[in-house]
Parts: sequence; C-alpha cells; structure tokens
Amino acid sequence: MKSISLYTDRKSVLHSLDPINKLYYIAFAIFIPIILPSIEISLACVALSFTLLISGKVFTKTMPAFGVVLFTLLTVILIQGLFRPGNATILFQAGPFTMYREGLLYASILSLRVINIVSSFMILVLTTSPSDLVDSLVRKGMSPRIGYVISSVFQIIPEMMAAMETITDAQRARGMETEGNLRVRIRAFFPLLGPVVLGSLINTKERAMALEVRGFNAKSPKTYLLDQKQYRFSTVIQWGILFVIGCAIVWRLAS
Amino acid sequence: MKKQSMWSMRLSTASLVLIPVAVGINYIGKLIVGLLKLPLWLDSIGTVLASILAGPIIGALSGAINNVIYGLTVDTISFVYGITSIAIGLAVGILFYKGMISSWSKAAVAGLIVGLVATIVSTPLNVGFWGGQTGNVWGDALFATILSNTHSTWLASLLDELVVDVPDKLVVVLVSFGLYKGLPRNIVQVYNSDNKVETLD
Repeated sequence: MKSISLYTDRKSVLHSLDPINKLYYIAFAIFIPIILPSIEISLACVALSFTLLISGKVFTKTMPAFGVVLFTLLTVILIQGLFRPGNATILFQAGPFTMYREGLLYASILSLRVINIVSSFMILVLTTSPSDLVDSLVRKGMSPRIGYVISSVFQIIPEMMAAMETITDAQRARGMETEGNLRVRIRAFFPLLGPVVLGSLINTKERAMALEVRGFNAKSPKTYLLDQKQYRFSTVIQWGILFVIGCAIVWRLAS
Repeated sequence: MKKQSMWSMRLSTASLVLIPVAVGINYIGKLIVGLLKLPLWLDSIGTVLASILAGPIIGALSGAINNVIYGLTVDTISFVYGITSIAIGLAVGILFYKGMISSWSKAAVAGLIVGLVATIVSTPLNVGFWGGQTGNVWGDALFATILSNTHSTWLASLLDELVVDVPDKLVVVLVSFGLYKGLPRNIVQVYNSDNKVETLD
C-alpha cells in the first residue's frame, strides 16, 4: 500500500536528530524573520533551510511541495504587481497591463515568507518518519491517545484509498460514468463516497471495541513497545536555537 | 432523558477512533473531486460528519488533525488554515446540537452559516499569507477585478473567499447531512455520549 507520508529514508545527520529539534528549527525559521523583518534576513533563513535540505540529501524531494505553492505565488505576484492599492512606480508595461514596483516588492516579501515556512517544514517532514515524531512528542508529554490518533491516520488513509479504488472499479463495472458533463460527474459523487464512508464507519465500531478490550482507556501510565531512540546533541541544538532567537530579540530592541 | 453537555471533554474511545476516519473522509472527498474534476473543494465532509456524530469537540479535533496531517503530507501552508477547520468543526457541532441541522432546509441554512464562519476566519489568513487570494481560479479572478476597482484588499479578499467558501460549505453540510441520514442507527448510536446503562436485575 502506498504511504502518504513524505518521509524519505536516507543516511544523514539530519535524519539522526531528535524530531523535537526540527520543531525548534521551524519555530526559529518562522520567528526570526518576524523579529528582524528585512529581506536579507529572510533570504538567509531560506538559504539555511536549503543548505540543511541538501545536507539531508532530500532537496529534490521538496519539488512537489514547492510546486503546490509556487503556482499560487505566481498569481500573487501578477495580481499584486498589477493591482495593489498604492502602486505608483511603473516598472514596465505589457500591452494594456502595467507592472508596478511597490506591488512586486510586496509580493516578493510574501513569497519569501511562504517559501521560508515551507522549506523549514520540509526539513521536518522529509527527514522524520511520522512514528518517530509521534513517539518523541508522546515522550515529551503529549497525550498517548492523541498520539494514537495521529499515527493511525497514516495507516487509515492508504486503507481508505485502496477501498475507494475498489469501489470506483466496481461502480464503473456496473456502468457508472465518471466522465462527461458536470451533471454526470456530480451524479457519480455519491456512489463513490457513500460506500467508503459507510464501510469506514462500520470499521471504527470494531476498532473501538478492539482498543477497549486492550485497555486503551486504562488510567494507569502507558508503557512503550520500543526503546527510546538515542539522539545526540539535542540539548545543545535546542538551547542554541533559543539563544539565537534571544539574541535576535535583543538586537531588535537595541537597534 | 437529559442530554449530556456538548462540551463534555470525556472523549470516548469510539469518538477518538472516529477522528482518523474523519480525516480519511476529507482526503477521499478531495480525491473524488480531483477524479471527477468538480469545481468545489469538498474537503471537509469528514470534519462535518464527525461534528454531527460526536459533537463540536471531536469535530474541532478532527479539523485540527486533518490540517496537521495535510500540512505534513501535501501542502505545508494548510497548517495555518487549521484554525478555519477548527471553527468549522465547532460551528457544525453547535448547530447540530441546537437542532439546527435536522431537515434539508435547515441543513441548507446551517451550511450558509458555516460558510460565513469559514469565510470570516479565513480572510485574515488569506491577507496575511497570500496578500488576500484563495488560490481558486474563479475567486482570484474576482479578487483581481475588485482590487483594481475599489483598491480595498480586505473587501476583495472577503468576497474572493465568500464566493468560493459559501457554496462549498453549503454542499459539504448537505452532503454530510445526507450521509448522516443514510447511516444505520446502530452506527450513530456508538458515538452518542448520553446513553444510560440499564441493568435487568
């Protein structure tokens, strides 16, 4: 079954770090450009994230994620450049449209912010397996029940997608059309969705009973099936990141 | 029989297990829309269904976890829109508990309300992250038109979100209500938290 997780198994330093460190890094990449709002700082953050992604040997895997946002960013650049209120300085003209400097600048700041956030999240997503992340968070004090919910999503979605493929084939075999004009396609929506929903809800009843029988609701403290993974440098990295954020705040206040 | 408060934080195992399924239904909804090339998102059917079945808390949790998972697997920015999903879950849960999603016509009104809630929560996020756009072609075309005519980013952004979100949530609530009505009662009963245990002796 195809996994929905983007985790890519490679050998790198980034892969061997505690997932919590990567959460700290995300906070770092988001807060530093807010504390020190200049294009140079944002560019430096993006460059740092890219370097880390390359060192983790996963840079090429970021392309689909950037593909999702880049298209929207392109329209943002177009619309803001052409129509943003306060546009005054003409950059160039193409037919009836005029591109303005202010809007373009504003759009590039927005784009930089989005690219920065996406690339910092990509470090977490591409170099951490979901189960390791959940395990680390539960050991840090997250409710094990929520931990179960999150890791079971990663199992249930491929299951449901497989079920949907089966149902699509079955309905097509019975003569349902999935292509054609809008009315035909709308009518195909329910025969596809209904059985998946019903089937998965019936499964939850059984799953709930199976969990209850195994003491899912027991009040006693939970134990772990797997030994705690040994991560190195965690304290250093986390305090280091907090220190840099602290320095940035001081710098902002002082200047 | 007195109903238990809808804000009960006592999450039963059944309702917790419902959350991953709700996320899965959201995913499948989006998948089918892609397959059939329908002009809406329809990616919150699971959240709405979970709210109807198990109340606003489970609905909000489903919404939040949905966007976390979506953020981790497809589109990072959807983390931020988790707030919208939480609002949708809460709104549907409250409306259903108050008996405002009990017939087709009431469900349609509820759908419009949920759409408005989603619009109001999403607009500031759109302005902050995308300069006001939604990423939907039709909505963004309207955004560009209004922006060039009125020079108000907020008005343009609000209307951009409104024309996309309200029809979408209207359809989502109607579809979810239809699915809910079609469910066998023994499934619905599993999530009912106000059931009393009676003994025969």
